[in-house]
Amino acid sequence: MKSIFFVGKGGVGKSTLAATAAWQLSRAGKRVFAISFDPAHNLGDIFGLTLTDRKTSIDDHLDLAEADLDRAAEVYVQKNVDILTQMYSYTKAFNLDLYFKVLRYSPGVEEYAALTVLEEVLRTETAYDYVVFDTPPTALTLRILALPNIAVTWVDRLRRIRREILRKRHTIHNLSGKFIEEGVELPYKEEDDEVIRQLGRLFDQYVDLYARLRGSDNSIAMVFNPDYLSWRESERIIRGLADLKLPLRAAFDNKYAQEMSEVADEVESTLFGSNRSFPVVRVPFNGLRRENAYRMEFDILGALTIGEMQR
Amino acid sequence: MTQERGPRPPRRQEPSRQEPRKPKSGLLARIWAGFRAFFSVMGAAHREQVTELTRFEARELENAFVLLLMGSFTGLPAPPSFLAVELLPYLEHELSVLNRRAADATDALAELAGCLDID
Repeated sequence: MKSIFFVGKGGVGKSTLAATAAWQLSRAGKRVFAISFDPAHNLGDIFGLTLTDRKTSIDDHLDLAEADLDRAAEVYVQKNVDILTQMYSYTKAFNLDLYFKVLRYSPGVEEYAALTVLEEVLRTETAYDYVVFDTPPTALTLRILALPNIAVTWVDRLRRIRREILRKRHTIHNLSGKFIEEGVELPYKEEDDEVIRQLGRLFDQYVDLYARLRGSDNSIAMVFNPDYLSWRESERIIRGLADLKLPLRAAFDNKYAQEMSEVADEVESTLFGSNRSFPVVRVPFNGLRRENAYRMEFDILGALTIGEMQR
Repeated sequence: MTQERGPRPPRRQEPSRQEPRKPKSGLLARIWAGFRAFFSVMGAAHREQVTELTRFEARELENAFVLLLMGSFTGLPAPPSFLAVELLPYLEHELSVLNRRAADATDALAELAGCLDID
């Protein structure tokens, strides 16, 4: 299963091109699943359907869905609240309802919730030839894609501290026999310590996820417009992806018109220079109504296939 | 099951190890016994002190570990909070120590001083 992420500033036509790519791939005989992580839920509008987190089948080659990030966030927030209840069980006066509502918008909640859904899709939807992702606005997307790295870095640090703790306990055990504190015999060997085991599990999970996102089965396609407005944000995306070492394999200069060729030239050369390792494709503005936007005549599949061959 | 071997060679007569050496004089024996007792107590006390210090270090590290994880709840630069959610259920002991210390307002410096017998 190959995955393609369509990223870009809001309004550039990211959802439209994601929908188009999914459609064209499915007409070419591939089994495709298109899923939107964009809270704006444009994918459904484009296909003229109401989409939910349950799959909607267009036909036997194309399935659609919109991820329910709110529900994923709620599940995660509930876990947070459960932990806090456990930790502060002696404070009966803790107002949990208010905390629950506030925590939903706490930094990190939205991206982690999205990441759990993303990870699940990549892991379980292997029956498809392609999974096409329509992503949320740039900042959130970059934060989601950065999470595996961040997790790996921290888990590694925590693991080292935990090993140091176990070493100290081992010393105590060697010096004075059983190490019992507060009536509990504390583990000093790695194989007896549940915390180290969980840290190992988390490490492997996030290393695998990062490898999957960086690997040859994944592509990121950036969408922008031939104007100065999307220029800055596109620069940020390119830089962000380079920092994360994630594979940008195609760029689409969308809503292009002949009159804009000068601006388009300038924006494209500033963003990519003349030395391009991947195709930059000008997608003409086609004036289609939204509901049929995915049926544009322009073949964007070419760009995606070229990218494929370059791997 | 025993196998019949040839006749055993006669055993050498070795002095019995259980009997103490005959002391040269009563006073020297008492001094020697005194030294041995002193060093054995010193050894035990020393081991006890090292153990106590290591316990202290271990406790401090455990506290640091849990605080690091919980930092996300208190605004400290910290690992992302989903790591806390995954790991805190397994850190009951460390959490109870942390809560107890917070409640007792233990002075870590004083505790360290206590370990090192600094008055």
